[in-house]
Amino acid sequence: MKQRNTGWIALFLAPTCIIFLLIFAIPLVMVFATSLFDYRLLPRTFEFIGFSNFVKLFTQDAKFLPVLKNTVVWIAIHCVLHVALGTILAFILYKKPHGWKFVRVTYMIPNIISQSAIAMIFLNLYNAQYGALNSLLKAIGLEHLQHNWLFDTATAFPAVTMTWFIFAGYTTTLVLAQCLSTDESIIEAAKIDGATSFQIDRLVMFPLVKRMIGTTVIMAATYMLQMFSMIYITTGGGPGVSTANLPLYLYTTVKANNYGYANSIGVVIIIVGFITMTLINRLFGMNKED
Amino acid sequence: MKRMFACLLSLAMLLALVGCGGSSSQPSNSGDSASSKEIVIKYPTFQVGANTAAPVVAKLVEEFNAEYAGKYRIEVEDVPGDANYADKIKVMISSGELPPVVYGGGYKLLDLALQADLVVDLTDAVNADPEWKAMYNETWESADCRDGRIYASSSEGQLIGYYYNKELFNQAGIKPAETWEEFFDNCDRLLAAGITPLAMDTADGAWCTQLLLGAMIAGSGDEGLEFMNTSYPTNYNIPSVVDAIAKIQKLYQTCTTLDANGGAYENAANNFFSENVAMICNGPWMIGDFSDTSKTTEGFSDKVGVATYPGGFVYDAPIEGMFVTKQSDPALEEAGIAMVKFFTSPKAQQTALETQGMVPAGATVEITQTALDAFPLLADFLEQASVCEKRGNTLTGLMVPGLEDTFSAELPNLASGTDTPEQFCQVLTDFATANPVT
Amino acid sequence: MTHFKLSPKQKAARVFSYLFMALCVLVALFPIVWVVLSSFKTNREILSNGLQLPSTFSFSGYKQALEMAPILKFFVNSLIVSFASTALNVLILAMAGYVFAKKKFRFKNLIFGILSLSMVIPSTALMSPVYTVITKLHLYDTKMALILVYTALSMPISLMILRSAFAAIPTELEEAAYIDGAGFFRTFWQVMMPCAKGGLASAAVLAFLESWNEFTFALLLTSSTSTRTLPLSLSYFTSQFSFNYTAMFAAITIAVLPSIIVFSIFQEQVCSSLTAGSVKG
Repeated sequence: MKQRNTGWIALFLAPTCIIFLLIFAIPLVMVFATSLFDYRLLPRTFEFIGFSNFVKLFTQDAKFLPVLKNTVVWIAIHCVLHVALGTILAFILYKKPHGWKFVRVTYMIPNIISQSAIAMIFLNLYNAQYGALNSLLKAIGLEHLQHNWLFDTATAFPAVTMTWFIFAGYTTTLVLAQCLSTDESIIEAAKIDGATSFQIDRLVMFPLVKRMIGTTVIMAATYMLQMFSMIYITTGGGPGVSTANLPLYLYTTVKANNYGYANSIGVVIIIVGFITMTLINRLFGMNKED
Repeated sequence: MKRMFACLLSLAMLLALVGCGGSSSQPSNSGDSASSKEIVIKYPTFQVGANTAAPVVAKLVEEFNAEYAGKYRIEVEDVPGDANYADKIKVMISSGELPPVVYGGGYKLLDLALQADLVVDLTDAVNADPEWKAMYNETWESADCRDGRIYASSSEGQLIGYYYNKELFNQAGIKPAETWEEFFDNCDRLLAAGITPLAMDTADGAWCTQLLLGAMIAGSGDEGLEFMNTSYPTNYNIPSVVDAIAKIQKLYQTCTTLDANGGAYENAANNFFSENVAMICNGPWMIGDFSDTSKTTEGFSDKVGVATYPGGFVYDAPIEGMFVTKQSDPALEEAGIAMVKFFTSPKAQQTALETQGMVPAGATVEITQTALDAFPLLADFLEQASVCEKRGNTLTGLMVPGLEDTFSAELPNLASGTDTPEQFCQVLTDFATANPVT
Repeated sequence: MTHFKLSPKQKAARVFSYLFMALCVLVALFPIVWVVLSSFKTNREILSNGLQLPSTFSFSGYKQALEMAPILKFFVNSLIVSFASTALNVLILAMAGYVFAKKKFRFKNLIFGILSLSMVIPSTALMSPVYTVITKLHLYDTKMALILVYTALSMPISLMILRSAFAAIPTELEEAAYIDGAGFFRTFWQVMMPCAKGGLASAAVLAFLESWNEFTFALLLTSSTSTRTLPLSLSYFTSQFSFNYTAMFAAITIAVLPSIIVFSIFQEQVCSSLTAGSVKG
C-alpha cells in the first residue's frame, strides 16, 4: 500500500516545495552567494570580489556599526524587558481578578492592528506641534519638557522604542494561556501549604511556564530582526542612523540598487539571528525535555 | 470529490489570477502595427491625485486622446509619490522593459535608461519639426542631450524664488529683503512680532531648506555662485558653504516651527498655508495651490507675495524631460514620439501655464495674457526674475547620486545641534568623495 | 473563596495589580481613542490643541479621506491578496502536513528539516533576492507577487500547526477509511481534513493576520495604486495629504476599524490560534 502512494506523496509535497524553493531556498543561496560579488544596477556590475563587502561593512562603513549596535540593543531590550512586561501582566491575570477578560482582550488590540497604523498613530502622537504627548505636557504645566520626540537626537531612540515596547499583547496571551492550562490542584496544594501569592508565582507557576516564556523570548528576538515598518514610517532611521536597524539599512541599500552589498547585510542578519536563537535555546534549555 | 478538490484549488488559483491579471502593470505592446487598430500607450505617472501637475496631465491626456482618436490612446496608471515612480522605473530598467514614455523629471532616469540602451534617439524627429527644434536652448541641451544626440524633451522650467505672507510681513513692518543682512533682520523683526519666520524641513531631501541654503551660498560671493553652478562637487568644506550651513543651523533652532525637524515638504507647505509661518521657498508650480480651498482658506492667494532671493539671485535649473523608450513594436515607438511631442509642445506648455501657473521650459513659449491674468503672482515673479543676473542650479540637483539621502538624514543632527557646521559639511564631503561621478 | 483580612503586603500587591492592569488598558486604548476622536475635529482644532475634545462630531474628514485617496481600492487589494494567499497557504500546507504526519517515505526527515529552516531565517534578510526573483519573473508590482510571497511567509507556522493537527488524528480512522475502499485522495479530503478543522482554522487565522498586516514586502514589491495594500495606504497619506490632518486621522481609523471589529468577534479563535502556533511540533 505504501508503494502505490509515492505518486500522491510527491504530488502533495510538490506545491510546498516549489514555493519554498522560490521564496526561501533560492533567495537564501543568493544571499550568501552574491554577498561575495559587487552586484549593482548603476553602473551595471556583477564581479566577484570575495569578502570585500564584509570588510567594507565592518571597517569603512560609518553607518553599519551603529546600525548593528541598535539592532543588538533592541533585541536585548525586547527579549528581556518586553517579555518581562508581558509576563508580569500574565501572572496578574491568571488569578482572574475583576475584569481580567477585558484587560486580556484590550491589551491584544494594538498587536492585532497593522503595525503601519500604529506607527502612523505614534507619528501623530509624538508630533511637536499638535501631538497628544506635547499637549499633555502643556496641560499639566510641564511645557518645558516638550520635545520634537522623534527627531531630536536625544529622544529619538527611546521614542521609537516605545512604539513597540509597550505592546506586549502576544506575550501576555501566550503566557496567560499556559498559566491557565496548568493543573489547578498544584496551586491549591501550594496554597494549603501556606505559600503566599508571590511565592506561588515564583516557585510553582514560573517553572511550569518557563518553556512558553522561552518561546516568547524567541518570538521577541525574531520580531526585532524583522522590525521595519514602525521605524520606516516614524523616523526613517534618522536622525542620521541613530534609530536605524539592520532591516532598514538593508532596505535602503536595495533601493539604492546595490544588491551585492545589501546581501552582505542580509548575511549579517541571518548570523545575528542564528547566534541569538542558539543563546536563547541554551538559556532556556529548550531542547531538554521536561 | 476529486472534483471538489480541483474546484477549490482552481478557485484559489482563479482568485490569484484575478488579482494578478487585474494589476499586471507590465508595459504591454498591445495593438498591431497595422494602422487600423488603435495603439494603446500605457503611461504610469506620479502626476496624479494631489500632485500639483495632475490637472495638467489629465487635460493633456484628454486632448491627445481626442486628437488621435482611433489611432493612439493614452492609458494613465496611478503611481502616486515621485519616489515610488522613480523606483518603479528603475526596476523596469533592470528588467529591460519600460513603458513607451517616461518622465525623467528630477530623478536622473534618463542616464540610467541610456546606460541600459533603452532610449530612442529623438534627434531626427526633432530636426524635422522646426517648432520643436526651436525650443532646444542651452538649458535644454544640458538636460536632454548627450553627445550631441537629442534624447528627451522638457516640459517645464525650474525658475525658483520664495513666497511670503504679505499680511504677516505688514504686521512686522517689513518688506522682502534685498540683502542677506536685511533678510536676517527681517527674521528678527518677525520673531519680535510673534510670528515664525520660515517654513523648513529635513525629510525627503529637505526641498525647501536646500533652496534657502543654496541661495545663501550663491549670495555670499563669487566662490559661492560658482559652487552653485558646478555639477557633482566633492568638497563641501569651503567657507561659503560652511558659513551658510551655520546660518541654517541657527534658523532651524530659532526661526522655524518645531516640526521642521523631521518634517517633509508637506509639513512645511501646510505651515505656510495655515499662516503659521511667513515665508517658504518654492517654485511657481505652487501658485495654483494658493487658491485651492482644500489646502488653504478662502482668499489666501491674495495674501501671498513672491520674491527672488537677496542679492539678485534666482534658481534657473534645467530639468530633464520626457523620453521615449525602445519597444519591440516600432508603431508603439512612433506613438510614443507623438505623445512626447504633444506633451512638450509650446501649446501644451501654455496649457500648463494657464492651468497651474507652471513656468514653461521653452524660451520661445509665449507667456499668454490669460496666464498672467489668472496668476498675477506669476507675472510678478517672472518680472523680478528677468532682472536677476545671478542664477544657478539647485543644491540637491547638483549633488552626486545618493548624497541627497545622506544630506536629508543628517540634517536632524544639524538642527538639534549634535553636529557642528564643520562636521555636517564633512559628512557631505566624505560621501561625495567616496561616491564621485567619474 | 472566603474573604480573609488581607495583610498590608497583600493589599499593596492587590493595588499594584489593579494599577498595572489599568495602565496596560490605558496604554493600549489611548492612542487609538485619541486618533478616532481627532478624526472628528477640524484641521484648526487639531493644530491648536492636541487634547481637546472635538466641538462637533462631523464626518467630513471621512468623506474627504475616501474622496481624496483610493482607500477602498487598497482595501479591496488587501482582501484579494490576503484571501488568496491564506487559501493557497492552508491548502498546500494541509497537503504537506498530512503527508509528514501520517506517511512514511524516504528522506522524510531530511525534507522536513530543510523546510523547517524557513522558521529560523528572518524574512528581512531575504529582501534583496526576493526582490530580484520577483523582478526576473516579471511579477514586480503585481498582486500575484504578494500572494506568492505571503503564501511562503506563513509557511513555517502553518507547517508546524498542520503537522501536529494531522498527527493528533488517530491512525484507526485512516485505516478504517482504507478498509472502506477510499483511495489516498479521498481519505485525505473526506476523512482527515474534517478532523483537522481546529488546526486548519488556526493556520488560516494566523496566515490571514500576517498577510493583512504585512508591510515590508508590500512596500518593496509594489508601487502603483492598483496593487498596493491597506497598510501602505497610510504612508501614502503622509506624502499626499499632509494638508488635511482630519482626513488623515479619518483614514487611520478606517484602516484600523475592520481589524478591531473582527478581532472583538473572533478573539477566542485568534487567541487559541496563537497558542497553537507557538507550540513547536
